[in-house]
Amino acid sequence: MSELVVTFTEEQIAAYAEASGDHNPIHLDAEFARSVGLPGVIAHGMLQMGLLARVAGEQGRLRRLSCRFAGMVRPGDTVVFRGEEQGGRVQLSASNQDGESVVTKATAELLP
Amino acid sequence: MAAFARALGADPADGVPPTYAAVYALFATAPQLFGDPEAAVDFANLLHAEQEFTWDRHPAVGETVTSRGRVAADMERRGMRFITFETEVTVGDEPVCRSRALFVIRGAAA
Repeated sequence: MSELVVTFTEEQIAAYAEASGDHNPIHLDAEFARSVGLPGVIAHGMLQMGLLARVAGEQGRLRRLSCRFAGMVRPGDTVVFRGEEQGGRVQLSASNQDGESVVTKATAELLP
Repeated sequence: MAAFARALGADPADGVPPTYAAVYALFATAPQLFGDPEAAVDFANLLHAEQEFTWDRHPAVGETVTSRGRVAADMERRGMRFITFETEVTVGDEPVCRSRALFVIRGAAA
């Protein structure tokens, strides 16, 4: 089993926005995020998925990766990402400090 | 690419992170959908709800890829709009990656 514990920060979310080119203000501007009904800035789903990929296994073997973004991740949240491989299929999970799953239906497939 | 790897806490020396596909597949094509007046996507209320990537192989640094996106489904249910957006990535004629994103737009007009 592979595990990664990440406490999200505004800096990491901003660095991901810069590196990925996804500058949607819901990830960067708290006032804007609140104006569209969110509690504040939230992490990119793709940032969560990038961290899931890190626990899915050796990256060159990865052939499929999928998940549903089930909960919001905010700066200050600590999320535990876990991956468990069985015969090329990987069950993935990510849950926050309150034990809530922030992604569901998360699986990966690896080349042998 | 190195900045992308570092933002994930990964070591750029380990190669291109697989989800760099967010850049060369998804965000290479999705802005065309978001910016299309005919598609009328309410971007402020858009959430990325699901994502799947499949790879035949991972593109290497220096390779030029071509990404083509299309709307595979677009429906409204319970006041929300659901758009399935698919992207095919090729190197020359060789398929290398497919992306399937589900976007949910809250508060869509019925």
